Amino acid sequence: MISFEHVSKRYPGGVAAVQDVSFQLAPGEMVFLTGHSGAGKSTLLRLILMLERPSRGLVLVDGRNLGKTPSRLAPQVRRRIGMIFQDHKLLGDKSVFDNVALPLLIAGMRYTDIRKRVRAALDKVGLLGKEKSWPPTLSGGEQQRVGIARAIVGMPPILLADEPTGNLDPDLSRDLFRLFRQLNQQGVTVLIASHDLALIRGMGQRVLVLSHGRLVDDIPGQDVGRART
Amino acid sequence: MTVRDLRRGARAWARRQLYSFFSSLGTLLSHRLGTLMTVLVLGIAMLLPLGLYVTLQNLRGLDLQQEDWGTISVFLRPEAGREEALALAAQVVETRSAQVATVSPEEGMADFAEVSGFGQAMSLFDENPLPWVLLVTPQVAEGGDLEAEVTALSDWLGGQESVDLVQADFKWLQRLARLLALGDAFVTVLTGLFSLAVVVVVANTIRLDVANRSHEIEVLHLVGASNGFIRQPFLYLGFWYGLLGALLALALLAACMMYLAGPLARLLEAYGNRFEASGPGGTGVAIVLVCGGLLGLLGAWLAVQRYLRQFRLADQGRDP
Repeated sequence: MISFEHVSKRYPGGVAAVQDVSFQLAPGEMVFLTGHSGAGKSTLLRLILMLERPSRGLVLVDGRNLGKTPSRLAPQVRRRIGMIFQDHKLLGDKSVFDNVALPLLIAGMRYTDIRKRVRAALDKVGLLGKEKSWPPTLSGGEQQRVGIARAIVGMPPILLADEPTGNLDPDLSRDLFRLFRQLNQQGVTVLIASHDLALIRGMGQRVLVLSHGRLVDDIPGQDVGRART
Repeated sequence: MTVRDLRRGARAWARRQLYSFFSSLGTLLSHRLGTLMTVLVLGIAMLLPLGLYVTLQNLRGLDLQQEDWGTISVFLRPEAGREEALALAAQVVETRSAQVATVSPEEGMADFAEVSGFGQAMSLFDENPLPWVLLVTPQVAEGGDLEAEVTALSDWLGGQESVDLVQADFKWLQRLARLLALGDAFVTVLTGLFSLAVVVVVANTIRLDVANRSHEIEVLHLVGASNGFIRQPFLYLGFWYGLLGALLALALLAACMMYLAGPLARLLEAYGNRFEASGPGGTGVAIVLVCGGLLGLLGAWLAVQRYLRQFRLADQGRDP
């Protein structure tokens, strides 16, 4: 589903954010991406979202070579990926419903279908009663779940999350990871960047470890509980 | 791609347009004061060339009422009588294909008495001092050179034996025509300049709006909106600004005309002229509205395009 082959990303000025990274994600897999801050986790996700282009190597998503995909097709790539951000990236002047509906509006879906889909997505994240609220009036955990509802409302085959539990307490974080696991069990390929090692260990899923832009470890799910991470 | 795919794509496109349409209206209404000020500036900017244009059109209307300005007055020698007058008239009609009206001394006296109010004084003359007069109006084809025709005809008439004096009011006509031509050029220049002003004002307003909504635009980008989708509401917004500005300009024009019509009519009445101010007309109104909207659209497009180009830079940074 996602495949990196000797990918490097160098920013203008010579800083190498990602160096010679290779890995593959099979469809329906759930993988954690970890490493200290600045290790290149966000850059890796941005490469998948076509917010950056690789300086070297091949990034394949859904069979498409992103390095060779023209910018004007980037929206098509992004519509097949649900992305969850640490700072939620919600629109404060639009209701929860409108925020979640955004990807469907962009797709030009019929309003009655949008209503159904949005309510289903909000139901899945446990926020069905909050559709008329404004995001700034919600708690951090609720805002994050609105972000997840927006990411899954278009039923994308891939879900990316960048430090989704960054501002949440451990209980909420665990709930959130369980939600990701549920979505994954429904067939969505999930890649979560997080440095919450205790939580990751508890999940028993494959873990990729980045350090200074290099992939230093790739731990299979069954070994995660006793890995040295 | 099947017909069904195309149809579905068209429906999706229409729904996106509808969304942008209402989204832009929402923006206009949520910033009422800003909208009002922008529209006011646009309206005044459009009013200036429009007002001058309508003024010129009205002047040209006056000109048309005086279409005998190209007419040449030919005064015959006092000793020339009816026969000479009619002979010359026939000759002019035949050889120069011009329209000729003959005025006998008696008719001339009657006219003069009526117009000047010196009727009593005229009766003091023993005999009628007025000569026979021919009023010769050259026939000029549409777009033909009236000046050359009048000059040639005047020269020819001046050379005739029975003619005493040839008088052409042509200079007046010429001056007015040249003034109107200058006015036309002025309107063209003003229209160009103020169109530019409209585009710049709209572009600047939209640019601020875009900057205020940069977070929203970023989020839209992230969830897969195309540049077209992001651009659309701003284009509608620019169109509304231009259209509302044009509407305001027309309303101001109507108000100005109503205010000026009374004094103007009284002034022209003093010159013995009946005058009714005419507006830009239905076609004119439609043209103003469409052009206003298009100029707004252009301004918005320029502003958004510039902003979206900045965004695309994020894609760069690839090794050669």
